[in-house]
Amino acid sequence: MISIINRDYVYEKVNTMFCNAQKGMEHSIVGKSLGDIWGYEVFQKNIKKNIDKCFTGRTVKYEASFNVPQSGKRYFEVVFRPIPVESGKITHLLAETFDITDLKLTERKATSREEELRRFETNLPIGFLRCGPDGKMMHANRAFMMIMDCHDDKIIEKTNLRSLYAEEGLFDLHLEQLMDGKPKSFGRVNLKTFAGGELVCRISSFMIVDEKSNPCFIDFSFEDSSRELMLENRLLQAQKLETIGALAGGIAHDFNNILTTISGYSELLKNDLPESSPLAENVKKILLSVSKARSLTKQILAFSRQIEQEKVNINVYDILKETIGFIRSAAPSGVKIKSNIRSGEYPAFADPTQLFRVFLNLMTNSIQAMGDNKGIINVNLKLAKDKEVQKELNADIVADEYTVVTIRDTGIGMDQSLLSRIFEPFFTTREVGRGSGLGLSVVHGIISEMGGEILVSSKVGEGSVFNVYLPVSRDTIQVAAKSGNNKRKILFIRGNKHESRILSMALESAGYNLTISSDLQHIVRTIEDDKTRPDLIIYMQEEKHARTESIIKHFLDNGIKIPCICITDSDQDFVEEKLVNSGIVSQHLTKPVSLKEIINAINLSLS
Amino acid sequence: MPGILIVEDDNDLRTMLKVSLSRRRFTVLEAENGKEALTHFKPSVTDLVITDLIMPDEDGLKVIMRIRELKPSIKIIAISGGGKAGPGSYLNLAKALGADAIYSKPFSVNDMIFKIEELLDIKQEEIK
Repeated sequence: MISIINRDYVYEKVNTMFCNAQKGMEHSIVGKSLGDIWGYEVFQKNIKKNIDKCFTGRTVKYEASFNVPQSGKRYFEVVFRPIPVESGKITHLLAETFDITDLKLTERKATSREEELRRFETNLPIGFLRCGPDGKMMHANRAFMMIMDCHDDKIIEKTNLRSLYAEEGLFDLHLEQLMDGKPKSFGRVNLKTFAGGELVCRISSFMIVDEKSNPCFIDFSFEDSSRELMLENRLLQAQKLETIGALAGGIAHDFNNILTTISGYSELLKNDLPESSPLAENVKKILLSVSKARSLTKQILAFSRQIEQEKVNINVYDILKETIGFIRSAAPSGVKIKSNIRSGEYPAFADPTQLFRVFLNLMTNSIQAMGDNKGIINVNLKLAKDKEVQKELNADIVADEYTVVTIRDTGIGMDQSLLSRIFEPFFTTREVGRGSGLGLSVVHGIISEMGGEILVSSKVGEGSVFNVYLPVSRDTIQVAAKSGNNKRKILFIRGNKHESRILSMALESAGYNLTISSDLQHIVRTIEDDKTRPDLIIYMQEEKHARTESIIKHFLDNGIKIPCICITDSDQDFVEEKLVNSGIVSQHLTKPVSLKEIINAINLSLS
Repeated sequence: MPGILIVEDDNDLRTMLKVSLSRRRFTVLEAENGKEALTHFKPSVTDLVITDLIMPDEDGLKVIMRIRELKPSIKIIAISGGGKAGPGSYLNLAKALGADAIYSKPFSVNDMIFKIEELLDIKQEEIK
């Protein structure tokens, strides 16, 4: 479009294209000002200054968009050229206007596409890296920086990818494989982050070559596999526990049958041999081995049933305090237990007896990790918000808040290969016969069942740290036992051991009306008074034999017919049968007893 | 002599019990599982039943309940070697269902025989 404009900003001449574009005739445009045609606001803002510049004698070129009748917004390249006259005074200018709308749109499309690609690359959750043919880094996206723990993009250009490979020579092997120009997937590769950490990434790559097949650069993608690995491990662990649990139950069952046969025939032999016979001694040894095997199968069965829990509302602080008290009384004198726990609300929905077992197991392991029975165990208790926990665990979590119990020891520590196996059932560092190797796998099972997590870190020679994360449960959840067996009176006969205190705590949380006693006189008074007479007696044996017998004798002598649940140690051979078949005890449980087991026994006794 | 029915799916264990009890001159009857026990149960010649709890076909708890119905005066001893829920819970259940004595495997057969004699009110001298 061509037009001639005078100093009054009025069109003096326009060509046909101009008219066509404006959808008007020449005479309807000539004589009108630019403001009339393009709008006064547009004129004042964009056009006038360029025209004024042109009238000073310069050619002005600029791009602008205008509204054109019936076509809407169009983009133009405008060139104003002064038309000089002989006097040198400029009275008119020539305006050439080119419609560049199509060009502009294509260009914009290309730019926005490029921007989109750039944004895509930046936001891609996969690390992207471009390197020179020698591995020198050229450009990396945000995900790469994040995965590799790099906070300064200037470092990228100064680094060679080779230096981030944990395994020497592997990068060159990859380079060699890329030479054919085909895309390659290298699977999981161990890397070192910029901050010095360790990382496993899935790496894919391909080399870009020029026309003469010379390598120009190499593009890499990095996918962080740590999470994937962790999930795989956890699934494997859960499956292992489940399988072993089922298997162990089955094996223990069959094994107990075999043991019964062995002990039965041994007893027959023993009966036939005169006591003075030297052979009787051998038979005794067979029976002793049977009893050892029996205690092992009991442990295995305990493992397979320990995962099931009856949960109540508890304060983790109470359980931890009792466990520390228990451990202090049992630990060798050289082991110091420093507890940094402040009383407060650490609510959880759990089986207190199981939680006690978790802490007890962890602290016992800590003690056993101290070679010369000397060292320090540090116990910490705190609340942590979900974000903090998520960061520490690098995993999906279920609660908004967690109680974190940390048990740190100055023991011999563990190396990586040991660490990766400690939660496996039957894995033990102790010599054969000193522990079943079930402790930590049970700990893992109990915590997982609660929706919690356990994290362990360790250094050889320095010690280990166990972090237990338990979901905080502030809602008071109605417990099954509470609604059913409301306020049944139970006389709980126990000493003052921490384990029995935990159990009474658990029973009270479950809604039972508990009277606790350890004194025979008080027991008798409680039973004889109609107001306090219990519906059920639970007797937890703590000191061996003597007291049990005096209490049982009292019941027998006085014809007391109150259902009685007796809880005894598992290492007492065949004593339990005598107790339970004596007619006094209605139900018998062996330690460790879970809340679920005891509630089942209570229900059976009261039904 | 009193008749004892042993319900146990483990052959070796059952045979051992049979040998031990026969030595004490009991008349021993055997069943390999709960189903067989219930089909062939003879109230007139059986004074006591020793039953395993976890068995294929009818399990021991059912045996206890059915046999009690068939002969209320019968004495019952439950034995168990555990399983998924552990020996305790099954045995406690058996006790609640009316087992006169319970033993978790492996147990002392001498203790059990002592108990059997007590349950059946047999004087030691009678056997010897």
